[in-house]
Amino acid sequence: MKVKLELFGASRDLSDNDFLEFNIEKKISIKDFKKKIINYVDERFKGNKNFKKIIETSAFCSEDNNIISENYKITKDQKIGIIPPIGGG
Amino acid sequence: MLHAKIIDLKKEKIEVNKAEEFVSSSKFGASLIFKGTVRENNDNKKVTGITYDSHDAMVIKSFEEIYNEVGQKLKIKDKAVYVEHVKGYLGLGEISIIIAVACPHRAETYILSRYIIEEIKKRSPIWKKEHYENEESEWLKGNPIQAN
Repeated sequence: MKVKLELFGASRDLSDNDFLEFNIEKKISIKDFKKKIINYVDERFKGNKNFKKIIETSAFCSEDNNIISENYKITKDQKIGIIPPIGGG
Repeated sequence: MLHAKIIDLKKEKIEVNKAEEFVSSSKFGASLIFKGTVRENNDNKKVTGITYDSHDAMVIKSFEEIYNEVGQKLKIKDKAVYVEHVKGYLGLGEISIIIAVACPHRAETYILSRYIIEEIKKRSPIWKKEHYENEESEWLKGNPIQAN
């Protein structure tokens, strides 16, 4: 299945696009999906520590705009948003 | 009565007079307009501007949640609230957020306005990338959002 990771804030530095796409073989929890993103950083950005920290401290949101827990299972093609630490105003 | 919007600076401007108009009513004896603006210095660095990013749908949802909970949490029932936040690039002194509130009495407006800005900072998915005099830029460290 295809998981489209929509990028916001500091995570936008992970790509020139607004998103990253991952091909995932079977259903996966957010906790394990995070590991996939970290693997991507290892391969693409030589393990850039700042990028890894962004991923580790981020929350994730579903297509219906709810923050989801690390146990949330992705079971089909879908969009997931990465929500790095926030600070507007 | 709530107005909540993200202003995409590529398409439109943020305007204080619209906020003033929205909260003007003879129902209310007090109104207050808060503006957040880009300042020239942060952490001893000379700032030249800020790029704001937002998850629009979640931001609007957070504004609505904050508005809906003040009746119970702050016991403020009669109110008009106008909240707009920009996304895109702003130079020094330009407005990033407007929070206009109106209530029957002045004390409520101060409490309400302060509550809204503090909650937005904690809960609304908005990010700032500061740009500096030396042409460098960086995303500011923020507060992690926790899943419920």
